[in-house]
Amino acid sequence: MKVYSTLLLLFAFCCPHHMAAAETIIVVANTSDKSIKLNRQQVRNLYMGGIMPYDLKAIALPPENHTRVIFNTKVVGLTESRIQSYWAQMRFTGRKKAPKEIKNEMSVLEYLQNHEGAVGYLLAGTPIPDGLSVIYTVR
Amino acid sequence: MTRRLSTLFHTCWLLLLCVAPTLHAETEDKLQLSGFARVILGYLDDENAEYVGYDNSISANQQSLLGLQAEYLFNDELSVTGQVVGFTDDQRNSGLEWLYISYSPSNALQIKLGRQRIPFFNYSDSLDVGFAYPWLTLPQQFYDTAFFSTFDGVLANYQFALNDWQINYEGYWGRFDDKIYLASEEINTQVIGLFGFNTSFAYKNLSLRASYNQGDVNIEQEEARLFSQQLRQFGFANNAEWLDANGLIQFYQLSANYENLDYFLRSEVSKMVSDGGLVADIESFYISAGYNFYPYTFYISYSQKDLHFDHRPSEIPLGVTPELDFLAATYADVIGRFADDKATGIKIGSRWDWQPNIAFKAEMTFVEAQDEISNDYAVKDLGGFDGHAMLYQLGVEWVF
Repeated sequence: MKVYSTLLLLFAFCCPHHMAAAETIIVVANTSDKSIKLNRQQVRNLYMGGIMPYDLKAIALPPENHTRVIFNTKVVGLTESRIQSYWAQMRFTGRKKAPKEIKNEMSVLEYLQNHEGAVGYLLAGTPIPDGLSVIYTVR
Repeated sequence: MTRRLSTLFHTCWLLLLCVAPTLHAETEDKLQLSGFARVILGYLDDENAEYVGYDNSISANQQSLLGLQAEYLFNDELSVTGQVVGFTDDQRNSGLEWLYISYSPSNALQIKLGRQRIPFFNYSDSLDVGFAYPWLTLPQQFYDTAFFSTFDGVLANYQFALNDWQINYEGYWGRFDDKIYLASEEINTQVIGLFGFNTSFAYKNLSLRASYNQGDVNIEQEEARLFSQQLRQFGFANNAEWLDANGLIQFYQLSANYENLDYFLRSEVSKMVSDGGLVADIESFYISAGYNFYPYTFYISYSQKDLHFDHRPSEIPLGVTPELDFLAATYADVIGRFADDKATGIKIGSRWDWQPNIAFKAEMTFVEAQDEISNDYAVKDLGGFDGHAMLYQLGVEWVF
């Protein structure tokens, strides 16, 4: 039993993206049209610099942030290192720029409130101020 | 070697320091300064050969480099970007790699005017940004085949979404006028009417890309030109024609990549067709698979190149006059100097993303050259090479 627990711990330590199973991510936006809902692919495209049917601008949390790790795992479906190498290629070929990074969840909420069209991700359960709406949820 | 590395890094840091006060003087959003660096050590286990410039001694001056990029935003739509790269490899010209004005009237459309990298293949425009790809050295049998990397001209990129597919169209037009290096020899080369277009489709974890590129190449080969004239005077027009280094070159490329949290699969295949006899036709491909064990990545790759010339048999009769015999011998010698080149490369390696912007890599490449080795490309026979060698490499990649 002890061996299995050790192995399980080791597995969890080595693959942090597999640890994210239990937490729910919400994608929150400051939009005048409160009916906007996105699917996972659209949110992924938005965060990889793709084209959207709406005029939205993604903001992200820093690489070491726990919510970001879960978002990468559940929505983008790539490891942090792959995301970083993708943006390095985009930046130095002058194609696209990575989403602006905001230092923590509190600051994300503040930024969203002050910038129309801004989109950020947070953990479910975070109190959402008036004026912002949830456009995507993933368990 | 150490001195050259040190000079390069000092020059670049000096440049960085000179620009830094300007950076602070501007608002953060107007001027953006960034860069990339790689320090790569390599050792080839065969004393009779060279591969990607590495020989039988530990060397850091083949692929190590430092690049600096400055972007100035005039407004949301208009910006100017410059990128300088200092190479330790003396077969690469250090200096300005990119300098362009970019106009983006919307998220969907971007137009760039100026000096840019040619987007032949997936990584052609980011060859030097090692941080951007998993391998330590790109599959050489594939990436060794694009001889000129920059162009001066215009590039337009348009992307749109269709049922969750991201579709991207890109086209460019311009010219190349610089030196290329073959067999450690500098050759003045001009490519006019250089244009290409590519399209890529991305859906979920899958991305596909196809590209077509062409250019009218003019390679300065004075000896070949004079000899060709001589052959023509003697009436051997067919052989004279073959000695032409000029003409249309066409590149075709296809790629398919798949990646998720745990695995990746990357592949590219290309074909280059040329009109000029002295420019080879090339077929090449690579396929690579990797396993992510964050923050580590392990990968294997296989790549292959088949470069061949359409050698025309000599039409010069032998034993008629000493002059004709001499001409025939010279023709045979010239043909011999434009040898076919077939090689394969098998890689196994790992990448460790230590920090979000720093990665360490270790890689072993087993290279196998078949038949003759032209010495014009990554593999060089220093005499007595049996066609097999192993390259060991360690490196650090940094973006800032």
